[in-house]
Amino acid sequence: MLKKLLHSREITAFAFIVLMFWGVGMINPAFLSATNIWLCFNSSVVFTVVAIGIALVIITGEIDVSVGATLGMTATISGTMIRDGQPWHMAIIAALVVGLLIGSVNGFGVTVLKIPSIIMTLGVNGIVRGLIYVYTNGKWVENISFDFKSLSQGRLFDAITYFYLGALVLMLLVHLFLTRTKRGKYFAAVGDNIGGATLLGIPVDITKFKAFALCGILAAVGGVLYVSRVGFVTPIAGNGYEMKVIAACVLGGISLSGGVGSVIGASVGAAIMASISRVLVFVGLSSDYDNTITGILLIIIVVSDSLIRRRAVEKARRERLAAKTLHAITDGKGATHSA
Amino acid sequence: MRKLQKLVVRWETFLVLVIVLEFVVFGTLSPKFLNLKRLFSGLNQFIPVCIISLFVTYVMITGGIDIQAGSIVGLTSIMVGVLWNDAGLNIFVASIVALIAGALCGTLSGFFVAYTGVQPMVVTLGGSFLYSGLALAVTNLSAKEAYQGISDFPEAFRALSKTELFGVVPMQFVIFIALVVIGYVLLHRTNYGRKIFLCGVNPNAAEFCGINTRAVIMSTYTLSGLSAAIAGILLTAYLGTAKADMGAGYTLPIVTAVVLGGTSNLGGSGGIVGSALAALAVGLLRIGLSLNGLSTQYLDIPVGILLVVTVSFRFAGTNPKLRKLFSRKKRQTVISRAG
Amino acid sequence: MNEAIRLPRDAMLSVRGITKAFGSNSVLKGVDLDITRGSVVALIGGNGAGKSTLMKIIMGIYQPDDGDIYLDGKLAKLGKPAASLAAGIYLVPQEPMLFPNMTVEENVLMGFKENSSVLRKRLAGLINHLGWNMDLGRRAATLSIAEQQLVELLRGLMRDARLLILDEPTSSLTFNEVKSLFKTVEDLKAKGISIIYITHRLTEVFQIADQVLIMRDGVITLNGPVTDFTRDMLVAGLLPPNADVRDAANACVAQDLTGKDPLLVVENLTGYGFNDVSLQVYPGEILGLAGVVGAGRTELATTIFGRDVVKSGKVYIQGRDVTGLSTRAMLEAGLNYVAEDRFLNGIFRLSDVAANTTAANLNRMSRFFTNFKEERKLTDQYIKAFRTKVTGQDQTIGSLSGGNQQKVIIARSLSTMPKVLILDEPTRGIDAAARGDVYHIIAQLKEQGLAILLISSDMEEIVELSDRAVTMYCGHINQEFAKCDISQDNLMAAAFGVIEGSASGA
Repeated sequence: MLKKLLHSREITAFAFIVLMFWGVGMINPAFLSATNIWLCFNSSVVFTVVAIGIALVIITGEIDVSVGATLGMTATISGTMIRDGQPWHMAIIAALVVGLLIGSVNGFGVTVLKIPSIIMTLGVNGIVRGLIYVYTNGKWVENISFDFKSLSQGRLFDAITYFYLGALVLMLLVHLFLTRTKRGKYFAAVGDNIGGATLLGIPVDITKFKAFALCGILAAVGGVLYVSRVGFVTPIAGNGYEMKVIAACVLGGISLSGGVGSVIGASVGAAIMASISRVLVFVGLSSDYDNTITGILLIIIVVSDSLIRRRAVEKARRERLAAKTLHAITDGKGATHSA
Repeated sequence: MRKLQKLVVRWETFLVLVIVLEFVVFGTLSPKFLNLKRLFSGLNQFIPVCIISLFVTYVMITGGIDIQAGSIVGLTSIMVGVLWNDAGLNIFVASIVALIAGALCGTLSGFFVAYTGVQPMVVTLGGSFLYSGLALAVTNLSAKEAYQGISDFPEAFRALSKTELFGVVPMQFVIFIALVVIGYVLLHRTNYGRKIFLCGVNPNAAEFCGINTRAVIMSTYTLSGLSAAIAGILLTAYLGTAKADMGAGYTLPIVTAVVLGGTSNLGGSGGIVGSALAALAVGLLRIGLSLNGLSTQYLDIPVGILLVVTVSFRFAGTNPKLRKLFSRKKRQTVISRAG
Repeated sequence: MNEAIRLPRDAMLSVRGITKAFGSNSVLKGVDLDITRGSVVALIGGNGAGKSTLMKIIMGIYQPDDGDIYLDGKLAKLGKPAASLAAGIYLVPQEPMLFPNMTVEENVLMGFKENSSVLRKRLAGLINHLGWNMDLGRRAATLSIAEQQLVELLRGLMRDARLLILDEPTSSLTFNEVKSLFKTVEDLKAKGISIIYITHRLTEVFQIADQVLIMRDGVITLNGPVTDFTRDMLVAGLLPPNADVRDAANACVAQDLTGKDPLLVVENLTGYGFNDVSLQVYPGEILGLAGVVGAGRTELATTIFGRDVVKSGKVYIQGRDVTGLSTRAMLEAGLNYVAEDRFLNGIFRLSDVAANTTAANLNRMSRFFTNFKEERKLTDQYIKAFRTKVTGQDQTIGSLSGGNQQKVIIARSLSTMPKVLILDEPTRGIDAAARGDVYHIIAQLKEQGLAILLISSDMEEIVELSDRAVTMYCGHINQEFAKCDISQDNLMAAAFGVIEGSASGA
């Protein structure tokens, strides 16, 4: 029972966040106020949305390190349009289209040109980063209308922002898509065993393409949310986000080898990532240690996970070999196996 | 005859041609490009990337990837500064300590990759967080404000980059060439280098040959960490400032140089000469473009395109559908001839 | 054209004139085949005979270069797996292709269009109908190979498969699992499902098949009802047309081992996959170790070679206790091992012939800098001695034929100057000519006084080469044969656990 619970990586990740909050609360009780806890979750909204997107890609066994640039690009475009007084929906649509476009380029490179995803998306990351400078001439996008900025402040029951609520709904929808629909289940299948998926006639390349396209779109959603939350866009907006959301996914129990994990885990991981700097402040440390803590957490989690798995595989192999071995020729019962 | 043929077909030859082409094109566009002094001073900024890519080549030949080298550059840079400025160590002693630290950082990640079986991508992602976080922590030890960095280094240290051989060739370039030679000999002329290749091609078979694959794999990360430290020290000497965030954004140019240099990201093949030439080609491209008025922020665009285009040539051949597209044309011609 | 082709009326699947070549290597040379409804057809043949290629063509994974496939008498176009699946053909691969992180149910139901509640009901009905006891909620990674195969079978049956292809299903099963698999096959047959059963084990053919097919070198050489054949006829069918069937008694000259000390001594060795194994190999002797795949032979060899832990017992080389040493130390002690799986543990595919030859010998040739002169000399010496066909030392080994690859691997093992050599399936997957060359090399090594432990599931090979033989069955040495007692029949019987007097096992 405990084993099964531990197998559910989302629950371990969630338990971790609860423990972390509780621990910080012990040191500084002010941390455990409802306002503060909601602040932690609400402030993770951009991470959450982008992490859901990248989780789709990682679950299919690929990686996308261009989401940071995509977020920056779409934030720049939508920010500029809103600043220039264009209708909001046009700005949002433009951002989504650009996100889709970048995602599709990645998908095309990986599925048609067969470029390893790390290299393809690394290249695209550089290209898009440069294009942001071309687009803005290196200038900041400022003077975003107050109305648009205040969207991010809207709260339900004075607790959860509508943005974060929306992100949670999105998470649920994507989760249902991945676990309940035929095409959604292909994502994990492709990442779990690509050869087996091909044999069953699953469209491997189309599924991967979809993952990249969706990831691009969700990075664009993150870009729009970023504009509203931050209120201005610099040319380096979203720099390094790709690494943070990948870390969020890993913290949330998604395996980078594909097939394992859920978008719920990704969201929990995003909340952890967003809370770490706040936690540091509350325990009296500089938020400069943010990266250090993230790095240590990441390494501890993946290393222990890998060791546990290795051990299980080795144990299974040995049991298997032992089952095949007769322990004494004369002892007929030694040959009984559990078939 | 066959030897000549082989030389022509070699990828390195192609890279030399690219470099020659760059000289012709940029030299015609702007005569400044052909001014050696100017050229070298432009290249100085890029030498750290060239140096690191030499040893990231080792990592990639074993089938790994290293995205943490940039963080180690920042860490070693700030370490030199703080050890000299605040701890009062001799600047060269400080540099040696930084070199050791860089090697240790690489070894730590290498240990996790080789001995726990976690994907190199995740380990070095964790490493990049950890080491950049540590760099910030080291910064906080200093009396100086982080954004200022530490400067006013002794002349003897700055001479590391200021000295010019024959009045033209800067010391850093000489060090780079020396490292190319060392890197080449170590990889292509020693048993250790041979073992790196064997581990990359087939680690199982290497184990059956009595090769300690784990130690070999770990050592490549040590070397790459060490090279990042060398790069960090040279960069500090060149710029005259120690800062924690130096080396951020190095991942793209490093991976571009290695992949463009002909090293497969799947491991098993590649070489130092290719990486060195490719790094120079990328560096010259950046200088040439910026001399012709392209702002430095745009330079990631051509580098990204270069990366994607080169690899797509290499990998598109592995897509059976694309291959069929081309072979169908051939077949038709055969059929029409037969008919 | 098509009118000329006559198909049997009750044929579910017919194949006519299929050819397939990979590059210049012609794998199928015109195969004709009919599968009747509800019959079990055993397909046997050596490695490289073309069985798997034929099956992959039927499954739509490969495209034939020429030839047609008919389903129920109608020309079928099977270009991709989806088309074959839709036509009711399902291949259960040798290594089941499950999604390790999904449950049994998710594994079975993956790829269906229907609503999942309908599917679940159908699956429950199917399992009930088959009378299987299966926990649908288990993760596939926790299943045994046999259970994984059952999941694969369920996948096929859920697709209303009318033709199941089982590719060496018993190769990694325990004996009881084999028994239960046979029962399943009987059940399926009774339900009118046709089965192509690929196997290496002749005994199995008589146990479950109605019809038997033998493939050799890309053509079907024998075809008919099982009842028309005897085991010897099948063995004859597997052999090349004018192979001289050696009379074991003729060449029966037992080696005189008196006064010699064994080079390799294994005493009561127990490890993962084998139990209480004792054997000795003398200089200039070839000890055959026969047994079916999965009997623990490879585990024994790799454990001796330092790749796994020794639970108890001792290993001596030249009288020195080397139990539990690392592979590197074993190489230094004078042992080398030619691995069973050449692709996984043998060749460095991307490296050239020279690098492959010297891979285990680098530190012996020089301390730090690679000794290229010595490397060239050594490689050249072995290329000449083994008549390895290469364009040069710088040819990548991946582009060589299987036989030449194997020669390079054997050269690598010899380059470390071993006193004891373990050869694990040295001729698996290589052509007849190369096989002759490898036998010649082995004979030479014996002349030079090496102690050779020859592991093989090819009984003919054991008969041909061994001076003494032991058989392994379920991780035990169950019988030892002196030179004059080695015969294919004896070995086969012992390898299958049938020992005179007491028949233990399945």
